[in-house]
Amino acid sequence: MILRSIELENFGRFRSQTVEFRRGMNLVIGPNEAGKSTLAEAVPAVLFGSDRLEKFKPWGRNACSAALFFEGRGRTIQVKRNLVTDDVELVEKDDLYHVLSQFSGKVPLRGRSAASREYRDLLESLLGVSDEGLFRATYFFGHHPQEWNGDELAQKLRSLVSGTAETDYAEILDGLLEEHFALTRSNPWGRDKQRDREYEEVCQQLAQQGGAEAVPVFVELDNNAELAGQIEQLTGELDHDRQEYAKGLRYIERVRRQAEESSGTVTPVVASPPPSRPVPPANTGSLSEQLVAAGLPKNPPRELPEMLSEAAEIRQELATLQQPYAALGNREKHVPKVPWLVLSSLVAVLLVVVAVAWWQDFQLLWIAVAAALCSGMLLGWGGWRHVARNKALAECLKERNRLDQKKHTAQQRQADLSERCEFLGLPSSAIDLVRLQKQVAAHRDLLANFWSGGEAAVDGPGSSAQGGTGAVVSDVPSASLDANLAGEELAKLETRMAEFEADLKRKEERLQDLARQLAEAPAESSRQAVTPASKLFARKRDLEGRIAVLRKAVNLLAEAVDEFGKSHLVHLNDEAGKLFGKITGGRYAALKLDENMTPSVQVDSRRWMSFDHFSRGTVDAIYLALRIALAKVRNDGRSLPLMLDDPFVHLDQKRLATALNLVDLAAADGQLILFSHNMELGKRAARERWHVVPLDGDSAVASPEEGDEHVGQLHLL
Amino acid sequence: MINLLGSVEVEALAREESVRGVLVRMALNQAEQADREELVLLEKALELLLSRFQALEDDAS
Repeated sequence: MILRSIELENFGRFRSQTVEFRRGMNLVIGPNEAGKSTLAEAVPAVLFGSDRLEKFKPWGRNACSAALFFEGRGRTIQVKRNLVTDDVELVEKDDLYHVLSQFSGKVPLRGRSAASREYRDLLESLLGVSDEGLFRATYFFGHHPQEWNGDELAQKLRSLVSGTAETDYAEILDGLLEEHFALTRSNPWGRDKQRDREYEEVCQQLAQQGGAEAVPVFVELDNNAELAGQIEQLTGELDHDRQEYAKGLRYIERVRRQAEESSGTVTPVVASPPPSRPVPPANTGSLSEQLVAAGLPKNPPRELPEMLSEAAEIRQELATLQQPYAALGNREKHVPKVPWLVLSSLVAVLLVVVAVAWWQDFQLLWIAVAAALCSGMLLGWGGWRHVARNKALAECLKERNRLDQKKHTAQQRQADLSERCEFLGLPSSAIDLVRLQKQVAAHRDLLANFWSGGEAAVDGPGSSAQGGTGAVVSDVPSASLDANLAGEELAKLETRMAEFEADLKRKEERLQDLARQLAEAPAESSRQAVTPASKLFARKRDLEGRIAVLRKAVNLLAEAVDEFGKSHLVHLNDEAGKLFGKITGGRYAALKLDENMTPSVQVDSRRWMSFDHFSRGTVDAIYLALRIALAKVRNDGRSLPLMLDDPFVHLDQKRLATALNLVDLAAADGQLILFSHNMELGKRAARERWHVVPLDGDSAVASPEEGDEHVGQLHLL
Repeated sequence: MINLLGSVEVEALAREESVRGVLVRMALNQAEQADREELVLLEKALELLLSRFQALEDDAS
């Protein structure tokens, strides 16, 4: 698609004029104020409308209109706009002048009416562009700067790939982040800011007034840390309880076996009872029943209170160890790290300074001495920090070993106690021991009676069992008694194990619940809504809403930039590289943009150099190559003319020649309209047989005669 | 789809081969899987971003 002509009626300095163009290179040449920029601006003004009517409408007249005629494969498109009323007519016709599509209606700039939408859709389908910003960013080249400074070129390229001529997406991202951190210090993308912002202040004010709503929503990290702590603690408890449960099962199995052995045989069994294992007293039957009813073992050993005290002591010791462990973990976390990366970067910068001084032959000695001193100081400081860090970590390790030792001793004692409990037929799990301790405390008198009665009984018929042989010969009645006891104990144990199992399940469910909460923590926090009770609540809620929107916007834009880089940059770099290679005669093989849109050039098979190492002429060529490539990537085969409004006004002859070579290359594929005041270009136009449209500064237009394609060149010759 | 995310303007922007176009396409993709609350948040974020593109454009001109 090429722009065949522009018709202007009371448009700027043009009263009634038609300007024609051709495929390839077109040069609109004329002195300043001849109307070149007006002519160039007529294209976006007709296509999209303009909010600068006063610039185009001649003084004292209430009319201003223009029409564009595009010509493509077997069809023509005419777009006509009255800029005063914003009435637009668009007609697409085929070779036989049959109307293919048509639109007529009022379409102001940024209009949102149904007519505007219809027109833009049509424009999009016919010309491939329906947005003025995108049109300018793709096809419209303004004045070229005398020199690209610092980040200027990257900034310009970021604006162009954003889809607008002037809006740098990085600037938007920075603005959003600035706005976010003006509201809250919480930083989901990195370390939190140190100073509280409005949101934290509002939360604090609410906290002073009390109420659950005072809890800040945007503290996912803290909440998550708390949840993670609970999970860790519960996991530890569960591990321990599972071990206890397994021990319990083993114990039950043993008791069951003993019961089977006792009931299954009448053969006397020689057993070796433990020295302190109590022999059930014959006359304590009723007391035993009372003990069982009170939730105590049927045959409690004498050392039960001491064992329970010891168990409590061990539990206390283990619990006390938790605090120093937590403090130690915290201390280890806060041992400052050495910023080696920063230090090495600074040293590298100093080395670069020395290299530059050497290269430029400028005060090398002094700069080298200063750089060496600075480097030495920096490395010395880093080394000192490193030593201090190692020392602090060694102390932490020592402390941890000491705590581990204590913990190990306590656990060893606990294991011994558990063994003794199991041996005496007592429960060994922490929960059961606590329960037992309570029962013992509540039934001291009963136990005292049992033990005193038991001793008396033991002194009687069973006293032979305590005799010098150390062995007990069991007969049938005693075997039956043991079997009965074992059966009862077994039933009790099984009940307790069932309770313990239920408790274990509850803990596992709680653990799953906590894990789920941790996984859903951010989503939950963003959804949290609190009914406002005062202005503070309302403000807090507003701030939360605003912060959530800002975060979403930042994430969305960052992801979009990343995605654009992945999906478009390779193609863009390829196209720009081809153009750049052609213009430099193959001297430079490739051109690429990094994630910040900073261009660099491949100087040999491995080395890439940033654009700022090249001459101004080469940088101009890089920029033009990238812009032309961008238009090519975007136009999708429906290319509109590239319009260059005096872009080379600041360039010297050499740079201009380089730029024109590139422009010539770009024009070969389609249409390019160059607006310039440089009369010297006329010579090249004649040589290269460009189509020339001369604009006269005095009259509206020195119009070429219809049908004479070479009149422009002849005029200049 | 509600308001902005279902609008013709956004559909047109989604066809652009630009960062703005990719941004709108990503928002539309996310909107397909979002629940009601996420959709509201997404729409507000997109509105903010598009207004920033437009606002800065106006400032520059």
